[in-house]
Amino acid sequence: MDHNAYIPKLAKIIEIKEEVGGARAIKTFRTQFLEDNGFSHQSGQCAMLSVFGKGEAMISISSSPLEKDYLQFSILKMGRVTSALHETQVGDIIGIRGPYGNSFPIEKWKGKNLIFIGGGIGLAPLWSVLNTALGKKQDFGNLTLFYGARTSKDVVFKQELEELKNKMTVHLSIDVEEPDWEEYVGFVPLNILDKKPSPKNAITITCGPPIMIKFVIQNLQALGFKDEQIYTTVENKMKCGIGKCGRCNIGLHYVCKDGPVYSWAELKNLPQEY
Amino acid sequence: MDKILLKKAFPQWVKKLQAYRIYAPSKDEDIWTYETVTTPEDIDLEFLTTALSPKKIIFPQREVYLEFEKADEDNPKIKEILPDDDPTIVFGVRPCDAKALTLTDKVFGGDFEDVYYWKRRNQTILVGLACNTPPSPNCFCLSVDGYPHSTEGLDILLTDMGDKYHVKSLTKNGEKLLNLAKSLFTPPKTGDKKDLQKIHAESEKKIKRQIKNLKKVPPKLKGMWDSPFWDEEAMSCLRCGICTYMCPTCHCFDINDEVHSSVPLKGQRIRTWDTCQFPDFTMHSSGHNPRPDKASRLRQRIMHKFQYFVEKYANYQCTGCGRCITNCPVGIDIIQVLDKVRDYGS
Repeated sequence: MDHNAYIPKLAKIIEIKEEVGGARAIKTFRTQFLEDNGFSHQSGQCAMLSVFGKGEAMISISSSPLEKDYLQFSILKMGRVTSALHETQVGDIIGIRGPYGNSFPIEKWKGKNLIFIGGGIGLAPLWSVLNTALGKKQDFGNLTLFYGARTSKDVVFKQELEELKNKMTVHLSIDVEEPDWEEYVGFVPLNILDKKPSPKNAITITCGPPIMIKFVIQNLQALGFKDEQIYTTVENKMKCGIGKCGRCNIGLHYVCKDGPVYSWAELKNLPQEY
Repeated sequence: MDKILLKKAFPQWVKKLQAYRIYAPSKDEDIWTYETVTTPEDIDLEFLTTALSPKKIIFPQREVYLEFEKADEDNPKIKEILPDDDPTIVFGVRPCDAKALTLTDKVFGGDFEDVYYWKRRNQTILVGLACNTPPSPNCFCLSVDGYPHSTEGLDILLTDMGDKYHVKSLTKNGEKLLNLAKSLFTPPKTGDKKDLQKIHAESEKKIKRQIKNLKKVPPKLKGMWDSPFWDEEAMSCLRCGICTYMCPTCHCFDINDEVHSSVPLKGQRIRTWDTCQFPDFTMHSSGHNPRPDKASRLRQRIMHKFQYFVEKYANYQCTGCGRCITNCPVGIDIIQVLDKVRDYGS
């Protein structure tokens, strides 16, 4: 009873990187707590970020738990709080509480080939688990990333993706043809059909817009992937983060507590309420 | 422990409870509400269903979580604001409303204990009053595993027996209140016990509204997700949300920052009751809404109370107080809805 879950801890923004400009602006923030508080997360978990005076928003943690120096969040400017976060400067103080939710069962995936499939800002939640897998590369088989954005300007982690090509297979795509684009043109689900990853001893993890996830899953199934081999994350509007405020539920699951990570075998049995 | 308290001795008992903040039913024009009282004469136990249940005392409609402040270049300062420490008694808690608190206990307990809720809950003693006559024509506690003389969630249950109360003390806290005025409480006589049983038995017969075979509803609901039933039932809904605001078991809330000064920044983070019946309750900042229409929101209300909660905690999340029926401006009647669910398709 002495721990009050609603009180955020203060953290300093130590680095801000502009990933994408314009109307769908995305920035990546690195933060450090002012005081050590034992905050420890697993890949897939989220945290509630506070801009005092504006409110709170639930954001997935994009840094790997292996990274001990900072917590990283990649944030699409969308509502009141995320817009306020985009206004912050290096050195500003925000509030963080959490971590919340379940995590990717990465221990269960040892020895398997991992295929990460992301779209748009959906690379952020994938980034944590992908880097955890990279950090323990010897524990896994082949690592592959499919990532797509609307245009080349909407691609997040551009520099990191280039570096990643030396460490694992990376298939990039954009939705519509551009003059200097040398990789795949078309939606992410189509890129999967084009490259035909093998379901043998594989696990796929997909994050992105709901419509992308829907067709990614259909196409994976067409390639022979079983429901148990497909993992995704779900997001819903959240306020408390601890299963009490009542708004993020999908049936009897609270996404903040029982999610956000689901295998398709679990998610397909829940109502379409996300 | 069973005792008898003469009604004329009731004020003397209350006078011995001065160390406590006391809430009791109070009438403002036609509306009964729980208010703090200072003299025993202010306590009127001849009351009808109160507008809100005593949930509002444990989980207020608006409460401040924390205060924040930021001056110039300083780091922001945040200060946790907890409820006060005053021990509290609520007189005249209806058995359905006491049971409702045992249900919100499940939500606010668990892995993450809600500090605000439990501080008030743990310092509040509930003195119930059995419903010899249903306080509302829409009472249906018998259908949802309740009784008009149920003791669940109470510290003391009073039963009106004419010129006296039968006093059943149920917890250590209940004992404590009786011990503060020991001499006023006498053991029941043989006749009293018989009378009590009779009053309780008759009180059950006076409840007119019921849902037959409610146990058939939760499994039935599981197959009704995509049913056109919800569109039909929600047609007349005005999405006012009063069904949930008046409900003693509803617990949904919102959290927002209120700014009182922007330079230097000063404000409060507050939580307020919220409702699944409002369109923006679930709306993402992108505009996408997983529950975009009245049908999906009525379905959520019914599914939550009679399917999800049952599956999770083995209780209906409804105690049969009837407030949602009485207050709905368009006559959506949860008893009728559940009757239709039970019989749907057969």
